[in-house]
Amino acid sequence: MMIMIRAIVRPEKADDVLAALMDAGFPAVTKYSVTGRGKQRGIKIGEVTYDEIPKTMLMSVVRKEDKDFVINTVMDAARSGTKGAFGDGKIFVADVEDVYTISSGVKEDAVAEEAV
Amino acid sequence: MKEVIAIVRMNMMNKTKAALTDAGIDAFFAHEAQGRGMGFVNRKLVEGAEEGFEEAAVLLGEKGKLYPKRMVTVVVDDSEVDTVVDTIMDTNRTGKPGDGKIFVMPIPDAVRVRTGEAGTASIG
Repeated sequence: MMIMIRAIVRPEKADDVLAALMDAGFPAVTKYSVTGRGKQRGIKIGEVTYDEIPKTMLMSVVRKEDKDFVINTVMDAARSGTKGAFGDGKIFVADVEDVYTISSGVKEDAVAEEAV
Repeated sequence: MKEVIAIVRMNMMNKTKAALTDAGIDAFFAHEAQGRGMGFVNRKLVEGAEEGFEEAAVLLGEKGKLYPKRMVTVVVDDSEVDTVVDTIMDTNRTGKPGDGKIFVMPIPDAVRVRTGEAGTASIG
C-alpha cells in the first residue's frame, strides 16, 4: 500500500526539505508552486492584507510503513527555528491505490514489496 | 471515481493531449512541476570519476537536481481508469529513466460548479 504525502512549506524552506529527504533515503519528490492562506487569514502588513501567500507544495509517494518517518523528516526540516511559526505549512496524507512507472510499465506495488 | 495523477516529460504534453482525446478522455488539468525520481547514474560519469577526473566527480554530486515536468490530473469514472493509465503509459514511454510516474487515487465526490450536479454526472 502506497500513500501520497503532500506538504505545503515555505518556499525558502523547500531546498532544506528536499535535502533532508534525500539524506533520509527518499529522493523521489515533485515540487510545484502554489499560493494560499491558512487559519490566520493571510498576513497583514500595515494596511494591506495578503491572503494569497506563495508556498511550495512537495509531493512524494511512499510506502505506508514509511509514513511517520517521512512526515517527521519533512516537519523537522520545514519548521522555522525550534518552536515553529505561523505559516510553516501543513502536511496532508492520502491513499494511493496504484502506482505505475511509465518507463518500464511496471505496477510499482509489486516491485516495492520485493525491494524490502 | 478515481483521480489519475501522471507526471510526464514536458515535451510529451502535446502527444499526451492528443492521445487522451483520441481515447475519449476530454477533460483533464495540467500544471508545471519540478521533480526528481529514484535517481539514475550516467555510466560515463561514473567511469570518469573512477579514473580520477575531478570534473566527472563534481557532476556526480548533482544527484538531487530537480527536472522540469508536467503534472497531468484526470478525474474519471472507475471503468475508465485503465484506459487513461494505458494511454498515458503508451504515449509517454521512451524506456529511459525520467518518463514519469502515474498515481491512481480515490476521489469520494466531485461537483460541477455550473449546475451543482454531484457524483459521476459531474465528470461525464
